[in-house]
Amino acid sequence: MNTDVEELLREGMERFTADLQAPAGLTYLVARRRRKRLVLRSVTGGAAALAAGAAALAVAVVPGLGGAGQPAVDAAFVVKNVSSALSAAEPGTIAQMTITTSGSPGGATSAEEWSNGNEWRSVTYSSPGNPLYDEGYAASTGYTLVSYETKTWARQAGIGSPSVGPLGYPAATHGCGPAAGGFSVLFRLGLPGTSTSASSLPTTVATALHTAVSCGSLAVAGRPTVDGTPTIELKSRADSLIPETIWVSPSTYLPVRVVVGSAFSPGVQQTANFTWLPPTAQNLAKLTVPVPAGFREVSLGAAVAPNLKLIPGGSVPRAGAVCSPAASGTPCSFTPASAGGTVSWVAER
Amino acid sequence: MAADRSTAELEQFLGDRADHLLRTAALLAGGREAGEDLLQTAVERLLRRWRRFDGDPEGYLRRTLCNLAIDDRRRAGRWRQKERLLRTDLRQVRDPAGDVDLRDALVRLLVRLPARQRAALVLRFWEQLSDAEAAAVLGCAEGTVRSAVSRGLSRMRELADEWNDTAAMSGREE
Repeated sequence: MNTDVEELLREGMERFTADLQAPAGLTYLVARRRRKRLVLRSVTGGAAALAAGAAALAVAVVPGLGGAGQPAVDAAFVVKNVSSALSAAEPGTIAQMTITTSGSPGGATSAEEWSNGNEWRSVTYSSPGNPLYDEGYAASTGYTLVSYETKTWARQAGIGSPSVGPLGYPAATHGCGPAAGGFSVLFRLGLPGTSTSASSLPTTVATALHTAVSCGSLAVAGRPTVDGTPTIELKSRADSLIPETIWVSPSTYLPVRVVVGSAFSPGVQQTANFTWLPPTAQNLAKLTVPVPAGFREVSLGAAVAPNLKLIPGGSVPRAGAVCSPAASGTPCSFTPASAGGTVSWVAER
Repeated sequence: MAADRSTAELEQFLGDRADHLLRTAALLAGGREAGEDLLQTAVERLLRRWRRFDGDPEGYLRRTLCNLAIDDRRRAGRWRQKERLLRTDLRQVRDPAGDVDLRDALVRLLVRLPARQRAALVLRFWEQLSDAEAAAVLGCAEGTVRSAVSRGLSRMRELADEWNDTAAMSGREE
């Protein structure tokens, strides 16, 4: 009963305050209120009272909040706050992820990813400064893929939107089965032209977190410091097929870092560090996939195929795909989805 | 000595956290308007010292909110009067159409608890602080927090039991 009452109280508090929003320009409002009061006090000869009031302001800063104390948070509460924070961030804030993949047969790769609303972009590098491919989606242009290896690029309307899913697939949904598709609930191993590269979209992360927690697959593991920043650590169960750890900021509840393993390749691990950027013109420009001069436009299939050998972990992340992990180095041909059609992969001999 | 902090930095922080702090303030003060007023007062205090402020602004605001809420109630002494009306209020809360459920009743009870008890519950179950952290915010011993939480939850359990009994009785009558 005790726990029930605590939970009901928590839910009640959540509901009681759900629609509360702080007024915009709070600092301005407060400063204005203060000015009014100061004027009033000077008019009424209250200068002495003001001085006394100021002297009484000896409120100590509380040390260690959100720090070394025993964690009292539960995963559902944290995820609820993370979800709210992501929803609040979504209208304007640009999510930037720096992703490092290690342990894959092709060696370590890194990627940078940005997302804002439905628009996203992901650049995968073979080494710092050397992009392998650059892909993204914008409402005005559709899906764009630039392959630096073959100096080609492709563009196709009607695909790539997170609401539709990559290449005509419905947007990814996640059930409770840890092996649902064999993938992380948070983001997928990068595969240009096929995977949900816009994995850092706030809605995607929020949905995935909700699913993970409702399935009981994440629990609060502690409050460690990540790169000097206090965090709350959410960790998947020990028996999870896909090990995942998420660190969120206890002050903003936005994800700071995510580390995900691979169900197919136990040694493969991806680490994503999040930065949340304001929507300045400079930052918004990062969402556009630039096509370098001299690159040749080809069909999407032709642009995607050369990248298959670059799949981290050597896996093809779709049920029914013909290219198997064992054939990760094998070139595949690719038929992009058309309206009502299907995506297919065929290993070339 | 800390470097001067810009107002823009404070605005950025409030942009991130003001909604959550307002919700905390509303729970502590027992209403949205009172909560907004409480938050503005706390922010004003932070703003006055912001340039040389060296610490966790959220921790500071949380503590200030609690202190202000407790002081306000202590000065007003209203809670005792409200407490006497509590049982009557709760009967009114339970409406036959089921528009208000136990969760709302618990929150209504929460805002009628003595200020320190209420602050302890808000810090523990809304802010999700540990006993030690809540004690640091309230400037009291951990045992005091545990005791306040225990008393508050005890009242909540009584309400929940009464609620369930009434529901069972209604079921039998139907």
